[in-house]
Amino acid sequence: MSKISLVIGREYSSRVKKRSFIIMTLVGPILFAALMAVAIFVTQADQTDHKVLVVDTTGVITHYNESVGAYVPNCIDCFPERSDYVWRFSNAQLSDSSFINGDYTVMIELYDDLYVHKQANLYYKTVPSVSATSYMEGRIEQAVERARVMNEATLDYETYKRLKVDLNLNKINIEKGETYEQERAAIGLGFAVVIFFFIFLFGAYVMRGVMEEKSNRIVEVIVSSVKPFQLMMGKIIGIGLVALTQILIWVVFSFFIFTIAGVLFEAGSLNSMMETAELANQQGANADFESYLAQQEGVKLLLEINWPLMLTMFVVYFVGGYLIYAGLFAAIGSAVDDENDLQQFMTPVMLPLMFSYFVSIMSVNNPEGFAAQLFSYIPFTSPTVMMVRVAIGGVSVWELLASIAILGVTCFGLIWFAGKIYRTGILMYGKRPTYKELWKWLKYKS
Amino acid sequence: MNALDITAIHKSYANHTALNDVSVHMPEGSIFGLLGPNGAGKTSLIRIINQITAPDSGEVKFFGKPLAPEHVHQIGYLPEERGLYKKMKIGEQAVYLARLKGMSKDEARRELKAWFERFEIGDWWNKKVEELSKGMAQKVQFISTVLHKPKLLILDEPFSGFDPINAALIRSEILRLREEGASIILSTHNMASVEEICDHIALINKSRVVLEGSVNEVRQRFDNHEYRIRFSGNLIAFTNALGANFILNDQQQVEGINECTLQLKPGLRLNDLLKSVVDHVDIHEVVPKIPSMNEIFIRAVKTENAQA
Repeated sequence: MSKISLVIGREYSSRVKKRSFIIMTLVGPILFAALMAVAIFVTQADQTDHKVLVVDTTGVITHYNESVGAYVPNCIDCFPERSDYVWRFSNAQLSDSSFINGDYTVMIELYDDLYVHKQANLYYKTVPSVSATSYMEGRIEQAVERARVMNEATLDYETYKRLKVDLNLNKINIEKGETYEQERAAIGLGFAVVIFFFIFLFGAYVMRGVMEEKSNRIVEVIVSSVKPFQLMMGKIIGIGLVALTQILIWVVFSFFIFTIAGVLFEAGSLNSMMETAELANQQGANADFESYLAQQEGVKLLLEINWPLMLTMFVVYFVGGYLIYAGLFAAIGSAVDDENDLQQFMTPVMLPLMFSYFVSIMSVNNPEGFAAQLFSYIPFTSPTVMMVRVAIGGVSVWELLASIAILGVTCFGLIWFAGKIYRTGILMYGKRPTYKELWKWLKYKS
Repeated sequence: MNALDITAIHKSYANHTALNDVSVHMPEGSIFGLLGPNGAGKTSLIRIINQITAPDSGEVKFFGKPLAPEHVHQIGYLPEERGLYKKMKIGEQAVYLARLKGMSKDEARRELKAWFERFEIGDWWNKKVEELSKGMAQKVQFISTVLHKPKLLILDEPFSGFDPINAALIRSEILRLREEGASIILSTHNMASVEEICDHIALINKSRVVLEGSVNEVRQRFDNHEYRIRFSGNLIAFTNALGANFILNDQQQVEGINECTLQLKPGLRLNDLLKSVVDHVDIHEVVPKIPSMNEIFIRAVKTENAQA
């Protein structure tokens, strides 16, 4: 067996057998799914019951009802009684202290600006969730709309509703006949983030591994058996394979988790769909149909991505990007003896890596723009940015090949460069390395 | 045949010359002491022999053939600063190091078991290095160095970190390996061990070889014909009898017996000394004062530095 494969074998098996790797690999997807669930829960679910006081100083949507002895909305249906929303109306604002000490959770004030600037104020004690805010906004909006339709037009509200246009622009690429580019770009971004995350994490492992061998002094024994370059490549490749193993296991795991979650969700969503349907019937809106359509769109969107290409490119760009950054991390690890010296060398490596992350986020907004195109050729950013572009589709074979070729050439160049620094660095102790020093190392004969 | 023929090696780094026209010839089957002060260039030379670095110019022949990559399997190297993977099990680690030296997995296991038995550390196989003491780890390192039966062994300060019992164990193993035909380079500052086990030495100072040869030859060369003579009788009569041919370097009296250190002038022999004094005093003992390796080391380095 060749020596480099022995090194790869040691790097791989010593890491894969570690308890932390096994735990992370098993728990990772569950943790990730839980995190997603929590994120969705936090943004969507609002358990707070609201008692809303609508202060209508304009008199547009409320009037005083003698028999009740209180202000009531002109449109009762606009403010359905729900267990989690209680509506009260008034024509005068509460004083700050009585609002603070009272049991209203929010106070919405409609004032003269209502028609002109379409503004109203919402006072709160604890900030209401996004969904709660938009619900309340919708209720008031409808009440105001009704009032305006009644006062300013000869239409009845149902006719107005029917006539009202809520336009949705479906973006269709004329050349490719494709839609949902932006949505697919977001999926591409997901891949880009995975690439970024794994390069960052496993690049750091390479650096730690090199530093460990150097400070352990075992490196001198090893390089009396194998060439330093073989040792470095063995380490980089071995750790890279660990990363790929983890990704693969996560993909398989996530598939199972999402399938199970999907089954559970579908059972749950059937219930909630019936609820929404009931609610929609009450309100006369087609909420259930809309959500059905949204689901269909999601499926269509997923089907439109060229998955075989996407997955192949994921592996290609992950490997390329990883090799570049792992090479740099290995060079850094070899050059320093001391954690304190790390910082000066970390920055120039971390900057392009962080930059590639941000560029890929920005390219979601404008995936065919000049910046996205440019950075999908620059090897330090192409692994993440190109994933976004590939997800949209329409990247020509030539563009892909050019980008991969540049990445490949840079890989070779950087690994060669890293090897030169590594070779000298691992045997150099007690010397605080500077860039000038590294430059000299590059020129040493083997 | 020589195990190593190193001819006119130069090696320089950006700011300094590590080796300057270094030539060393190491006979096969010898224990070769590589001596020199810190920073003299010993480690640079060892790294060149191990092919960790290459010389700028000059030639290294390994058993008559130019040094080539395949020779690393026939060399075992124990560096001065040594270590193991802390989190790896001892057995696994030793097998890995052996396989890097070209042994098969099974062969490495078999040989290791035998060595572990002999060193009475058989139960360490599944221990991690971090669970061992420094001396224990050194034993494992020594075994890893010699396991693949290298023709050339390079041991850099092999006794450091061992207690006297284990140091003796290592010493006897080194001698046994020589009996089995290995050629051994011993780089050390411990001159007593040089005198004890080395056949040949080379002394490197300031990137140059300042002294090379067999231990006896070198000691002869530094022999300045001094003798320590013990006698009873009159000291004045003794010194008078010496005349101008002998230099009295030291003199003291211990329990009524005189002890003098005398140096012979060139061309004279011990017999001449004895003839001069034998009729005047009662001689108890005459011992030649051959310089120790320690003295030779210090003298060679000082002379060299004074010339520079």
